Amino acid sequence: MSGVILESVDKSFGDAEVIHGVDLQVEDGEFCVFVGPSGCGKSTLLRMIAGLEDVTGGKIFIGGQDVTRTDPADRGIAMVFQTYALYPHMSVEENMGFGLRMNGVPKDEIAVKVREAAEILRLTELLKRKPKALSGGQRQRVAIGRAIVRGPGVFLFDEPLSNLDAELRVEMRVEISRLHQELGATMIYVTHDQVEAMTLADKIVVLRQGEIEQVGKPMQLYRDPGNAFVGGFIGSPSMNFLEGRIDNGNLHIPALADLVVPLQATAPAGIAGVTVGLRPQNLELDRTDSQLTVELSEMLGGVRYDYLKTSTGERLVVESRDADDADEGGSVGVSFDHSAIQLFHPDSGVRIRLSD
Amino acid sequence: MFPIPIERRSRAVQITYQSLIPLALIMWLLPLIAVALFSIRPLADFTSGNYWGVPSSFELFTNYSRVFFDSDMPRYMLNSVLITVPTVIGAVALSCMTGFALGIYRFRGNLLIFLMFIAGNFVPFQILMVPVRDLTVSAGLYDTKLGLVLFHIAFQTGFCTLFMRNFIRALPYALIEAARVEGVAEWRIFWFVVLPLMKPAIAALAVLIFTFIWNDYFWAIVLTQGPNAQPVTAGITAFNSQFIAQYHLMSAGSIVAAIPPVAMFFLMQRHFIAGLTLGAVK
Repeated sequence: MSGVILESVDKSFGDAEVIHGVDLQVEDGEFCVFVGPSGCGKSTLLRMIAGLEDVTGGKIFIGGQDVTRTDPADRGIAMVFQTYALYPHMSVEENMGFGLRMNGVPKDEIAVKVREAAEILRLTELLKRKPKALSGGQRQRVAIGRAIVRGPGVFLFDEPLSNLDAELRVEMRVEISRLHQELGATMIYVTHDQVEAMTLADKIVVLRQGEIEQVGKPMQLYRDPGNAFVGGFIGSPSMNFLEGRIDNGNLHIPALADLVVPLQATAPAGIAGVTVGLRPQNLELDRTDSQLTVELSEMLGGVRYDYLKTSTGERLVVESRDADDADEGGSVGVSFDHSAIQLFHPDSGVRIRLSD
Repeated sequence: MFPIPIERRSRAVQITYQSLIPLALIMWLLPLIAVALFSIRPLADFTSGNYWGVPSSFELFTNYSRVFFDSDMPRYMLNSVLITVPTVIGAVALSCMTGFALGIYRFRGNLLIFLMFIAGNFVPFQILMVPVRDLTVSAGLYDTKLGLVLFHIAFQTGFCTLFMRNFIRALPYALIEAARVEGVAEWRIFWFVVLPLMKPAIAALAVLIFTFIWNDYFWAIVLTQGPNAQPVTAGITAFNSQFIAQYHLMSAGSIVAAIPPVAMFFLMQRHFIAGLTLGAVK
């Protein structure tokens, strides 16, 4: 029973308010990912849950207990730091058992717990080594092992993979996923990488400038973003945004040779200009047309990304699965299923939902 | 590469370089060489003005055995040890704690307190001579080793705190936070996490302070005045005052007095250099 609940949590550093009234509920056993661009307050929020930052306003509950003013040690959490924070003068074994030793747990009990954690993380052979003699991935596993040994209700990860190279990052991502299934504990994970968020999370929390933009399952956020920021942040490559205009129940897109799309439903009254969101995955190259210029073509093996420029100076990315190169500098058109269009308010970025 | 290695310069430059190096070295070490030479001469050489020539007789053993057995030198040496060692331990121990407090905790007035520690270093200690002497006299600590130790600790802790605080600041703060999340008490974080990581700094600082205190002459003559409390730096002058100036014995005594800090430096050199370059590269 270790769900985490935040109730209108605020945080200020002096005069600068960095977290603005965040409400959030993380269920017991859930894998929740905080994602957002750097400086959005996601790490601060995590550190507040850990108890390493004071809460300026609001309340935090872990496992039903109000822990707003509780010491980190008494919150039933364990944290994995971006820099691993392994004690350099202790062996892997000592690093993992340190917290327990300091809290008066008997030696043989510590040994058993350390061995168990080492087995889960395949660290058994490395127990006698010092952190200096470990690779980045191994250090990260030790840091996770140190968290496991404590048997916490909630695991907190602060960008744990950002110091690893790309290949190891994928490997560790899978490992953390496996760990979550094995331990069944609540995990809160901070990252700026939307791929990590999509692959790991049961629930994604998208943050921007200290406020929650949207909360939901990964695919839900991908398919149905609540605003242009979430639409642009979730999914790779990012969603394309084009200027549009609603006129007489029809959507006009000037960038695509003034394409007119009849809207199936009515837009809220009083909206003329809109932002049109189109995912690169939903676009298809149309080689019979020639209103767009191919600026760059990236071949990634299985997929290809074509960067197109419209006559209005806007940019567009198209994802294709066929292997033929589009000529760089050549002219093409795009076609797409009109139902893939998502409309956003041009100023606030809020999604414009059409009503029947 | 810069500067260009000497092996790649012209022959003339190489020869000049190679002949100037020993010359500069001799110039630099001349006072030391003089003292070393004086320490093996008989006193008669001084009265006859034979300062740099061949000693008229070789008195190494007589001079040094007189220093050790016929004078108060062993006592002065012991005093030096009894003053220096507690001072080093006291100043390093105190500054580890002050450094930890100032380096780890963000409290109001942290910077102000830190600045006061530093500012103390800028007060020329000569102007404190009279008040400090009066203070020791009124505290009943005048002409005692304890008085000297206490004042040395008080004066050294400022610099030591500066050194330790900056060293601790450079340690990754996440280590402290990781320990806090694990429920490790603050004093245990100090003892089990921070202190082991400070070993290079402690070694470097101990060597430095040992040398400072062992070589101190000023406070030794201000605060003490006899073989019961004076350290060797002040005690050497005893050869001067008895009947005549016994330069040969003073030289021998100086050499003996210089051995501990020199030995300390060579034994701890590795730590010393490690301490100075630590934190330069990640």
